[in-house]
Order: sequence, then structure tokens, then C-alpha cells
Amino acid sequence: MIILAIDALEYSLVEKFDCNNLKQEYYGKTDISEFSEPRTMVLWSSFMTGKNMEREILAKGDKEMWNTKIELKDTFFNGFKNPRIIDLPGFNYVKEHHEQERVLLKNYFDAKTDEEKDKIRKAYNNLAFEHHRRIKQEFSAALNDDHDLLLGYFSVADVVGHLNFGNRTMMKMIYRDLDEIAGSIKDTYIVLSDHGMEKLGMFGDHSGYGFWSTDFNELENPRITDFAGLIKEIQV
Amino acid sequence: MNNENLKFVIVGHVDHGKSTLIGRLLYDTNSLPEGKIEEIKQLCESLGKDIEFGYIMDHLEEERDQGITIDTAQTFFTTKKRDYVIIDAPGHVEFVKNMISGASQAEAAVLIVDAQEGVKEQTKRHSYILRMLGLSQVIVVINKMDIVDYDQKRFETVKKDLFNFLSNIKIKPSYVIPISAKNGDFIANKSGNMNWYQGLTLLEALDTFKTKENANEKPLRYVVQDVYSFDKRIIAGRVESGIIRKGDRIKVLPSGEETRVKSVEEYLKNVTEAESGKSIGITTEDKLFIDRGNVIVNSSDLPAITNRIKANVFWMDRIPFKKGESLRFRCATQEVNCAIEKINKVINSSTLALIAEDASEIKNREVANIVIRTDKPVVVENFNTMEELGRFVLGREDTCAGGIITELE
Repeated sequence: MIILAIDALEYSLVEKFDCNNLKQEYYGKTDISEFSEPRTMVLWSSFMTGKNMEREILAKGDKEMWNTKIELKDTFFNGFKNPRIIDLPGFNYVKEHHEQERVLLKNYFDAKTDEEKDKIRKAYNNLAFEHHRRIKQEFSAALNDDHDLLLGYFSVADVVGHLNFGNRTMMKMIYRDLDEIAGSIKDTYIVLSDHGMEKLGMFGDHSGYGFWSTDFNELENPRITDFAGLIKEIQV
Repeated sequence: MNNENLKFVIVGHVDHGKSTLIGRLLYDTNSLPEGKIEEIKQLCESLGKDIEFGYIMDHLEEERDQGITIDTAQTFFTTKKRDYVIIDAPGHVEFVKNMISGASQAEAAVLIVDAQEGVKEQTKRHSYILRMLGLSQVIVVINKMDIVDYDQKRFETVKKDLFNFLSNIKIKPSYVIPISAKNGDFIANKSGNMNWYQGLTLLEALDTFKTKENANEKPLRYVVQDVYSFDKRIIAGRVESGIIRKGDRIKVLPSGEETRVKSVEEYLKNVTEAESGKSIGITTEDKLFIDRGNVIVNSSDLPAITNRIKANVFWMDRIPFKKGESLRFRCATQEVNCAIEKINKVINSSTLALIAEDASEIKNREVANIVIRTDKPVVVENFNTMEELGRFVLGREDTCAGGIITELE
């Protein structure tokens, strides 16, 4: 079983850019209305544990929340013999890298001049793309290894989207690239996002639904917490 | 004023590389705004890829959406010979409607076919629409030659398949060119990758095509709008093509009576001739019976006078046409009643799929090949020889279809 966990993969853009590999046979929006806000850490934590983790994660506070590290035994990954999880928030993601992105994002909004903003935006994008290339390589190598569960977490659509969602060409190129990654998978896979993204001028903000797709099952408006059970079932 | 430009459209299957070709044409002719190509190149590199020219189109579309580019549906580039306008055909519906209504007229077409995939259903439909719209200057490009290792055999196979189909619908391409839009083979530059091909590049081929004739150089068509009797009898009208001069021997159609131009009358001006596009008045040496709807021509090179017309129409009214209904036929200033005698074919303008043959109705946004019978003879021409008298509308109270004349009887 392979899971493409894509942060902020937006349903309407998957449609618009005609990403057939991301869509697969069955696809739709996930229902995240049980959460007060579409927060990345809360949603992925809830995904891997199969239960709503909002209260628990928020209790850690804004800063500490990003240090969340859920143990393997508390996730559905535990049901697999040889799982491989790449860079998933709340589990094993490279905290320093994602922190660096958040710092640049804050600097961007704090910057006073357009020139300064432009410079930060470039550095921010470069950082995100560089990380994306690395994860892509790691994921592609892992496809050849013998894992009964492989999860690749891709943050590029979210990170780049926050500052560039209004740049359609850039977003299209990212979506097409993600679609190619999906196209390179030979086994059964699930595509899942925590939330989507909506346009705010040049910027992007989290939208109130996620995205899912499979080629084996029509899921009707599933919740993000449903997938742990669903994947375990398939495994059996 | 010789502001020559050639308008053309690129058609073909959606995945056969249309946007890449447009991107490549703009790139190879240095027609892109500075910085744009670097931006796209950098983005491709960020994702660990070679540059993809298809994204240039996305970039241009984005600018249009934001209102940065003034023109909404046209893309330009220039060769040494002249300017080119690529007419976007975002959907077939708009394209067909614009072609038939005259909003944007393509003078040539490039039909693109994927060397690996070969001729697809959509390739056939698009070829058919070229035929229907009377486009005769056609270049076929067999794209993605790089994917088939620039193999001549593959090129010949696809070419043969395509020609089998095209000859059925009577399209004879002027050129068939093996290209790789991605790598730039035979678009603006020749390449060493296909030494077996000795023909022209796409740009060289386009440069050989003719632009629409300057309307002044065409035969005279003076369309009568009204006749006023003041101290003299003035025949008001519009010069659709050609030039009308004082002293010219002229023929009034459909009556066929002849006389000479006594004077050319332009408001507050003293003139002896008027060129195409002008709305003026004339007086004649003999007092003939002339009325609105008449067409005045020189004695040679005559249009047809007929009551039976073969045409392609684009239906644009919510209320469908049902056989038996009488419609108003309007061409230039002529207006007569007509019946649609036969509906040969009805086509879905969006998918270009054939809906029916020998049909009895035409619905909204459908294209039909029909035979019209007017209740009085009209002065008309084949759209391809004289656009001005080859285009017409059909109406009830309002216009419900636009059409072009394909054959006269």
C-alpha cells in the first residue's frame, strides 16, 4: 500500500489541471468539518491515529504543537511489518526544515518594502523546491524497496501555495509534477490531503475540505480519521 | 497601407502538443516579453526538469485573465516576411461561431498530429471542421518526432494514415512537416536530427501562404442601401470590395441592366472614386430602377444570381429550427424569405460529433450543412472567393443563425 500525503492539495485545481494520476478512478473531497480550523498538524495527527486529535494538539500551544511526535504504536502504521514513512508532520518530519520555512513566511509578512518581500519570496520558494526535490528522490528510491506500507509526504503545494497561489502557472507546474509522481507508482495507492487551498489575491489560505482518491473504492465524503481503519481493512 | 499579417489556427488532438508548439513558435521568434521565459525556465529547473514550452501559453493566458495583455484571444509573432496572429480556439464552439460570424477569420490552419499516437478521432473531427469552414491553406505537422527517435518510417506511416482520411474529405495539405515542438526541430530552424527530410520548416511553410486579398484589389461589389431623390437621384450604399470610379461601366444585379457611373458623392467632399469599406452615394447616367438589396458590379467577374444555396450554418438560438419553418435570409443589404430545403448533416459544435444526416431539425450551438431555397433570386458568392457576399444570417425576428456559402447552383 502506498500513500501520497500531499499537503493542501486542492480539489478544484486537480480538476482544472486535469491531473489524472492524482484523480485515479474515484476521487472527491474529505469532510473536515469536525475540526474548528484546517490545521496541518492537527489533521495529519488525526489521520495517522484514526481519531480526532484537535484538542490534544492545540493543548500544546502554538509553538510546541510543531514538535508533536506521535509514537509508531499509536498509529495505524504499526499494523504493518515494514512501513516506511517519509517526512510526515507529527511523526517524523524534518522539523528544522519546516521551521525555516515558517520563519521566512513570517519575515515576508513583516517585510516593509516590495524589494525585501521579493527577495524573501524567492528564498522561500527555493527552499521549498529544494526540499521537494529531495523528498521526491527519497520517495522514488523507496518505491523500489520492499515496504508493505510507503507514505510520502509532499509539502510543496502548501508551502509554495501560501505565497504564490495566485500564480497559476507556478501552481500548474507543481500540480503537474505531483501528478507525475503519482503516475510513477506501479502499485495500489491512495492520494490524501489534509485540506485544500483557496486564493487570497496572490496568496493562498487553507480551505475547509481535503482531497482523496483511490482506484478501488468509491468513498462518500470520508473524514480524514476514516482512512486509518480503511487502510487496515485493505491490509487484511 | 500594407500592414500584412496572416491569421492562422492550430488544431488537433488536445494532447498532441498544441500549446508546446505555440510556446516554441513564440520562443524561436523572440516574441516573448523579456524575463518571462527565464521565469518559466527557472521554475522547471526548480522541479528538476528541462524547460517545457507548453507553460508559456499558461503564462500568457494568466496575463490575459489579469488584463495585462490587451487582446483577449490572439497571440502574435513575427518572421522576416510578416506578422502572424495565432487565433486561439479555446473551445470548438467559440471557434466555429467566430469563423462563421466573421468575428475572427483564420486564413490558414496547422493540423498537429502526435507521431507516436497517430491519427485520433479528434484529429479527424478537427480536419473536418477545416473542410467545413473552407480553409484550404493547411499545413500538417507530425509532432513529437523525438519520442519516436526521429524515425522516418513512423513519419511515413502516420502521414499515410492521415492522407487516407484527408483525401476522403477533400483536404489537400500544402505541406507535411516532421517536427519536435519540444526540441525545436523544423519549427524555425532546420535540424540534423532528420536528415531524411529535405522540406521547409514550419515558419518557412507559413511564409509561403497567401493573406486575404486586399479588398480594393477584388472585383467591385457595391451594395445598395437606399435610393434618395433630391435634385439628383442618389444611390446610397457601401463599397464591400473593389473601387468604384466615375465613368465606370456598371451592371445592376439582379436585373442585369447596365449604365455608367455619372458621379461619386461623398458628404462634403469632392471625389471621383471610393474604395472598399466606404459608405457613399453614386449617380448614374441612365435612370434605371434600382432598389435596396441590389448589388452593383463591373461587367466582368460576376457573382451568382440564384435561389438555391448550399451552406454551413451555426445555429445560435434557443428555439431550434424545424423543417418547414420559413426564415428571413439576409446577405449584405438583401433580405428575402427562405426555406431550408434539406439538412444534409448536423454536427455538435463542441465535440464535432455527427448528430444526424438528412435531419429535420437544428438545435442551439449545432452546425449544419444545409440547402437553402430563397423565394426570390439573390446575389451571392462562394465564401472562399468573396467573403463579403458569401456570408449571411438567418433570422426570425432576431438573428438565429450565421452561415457561409459553400456551393452555388
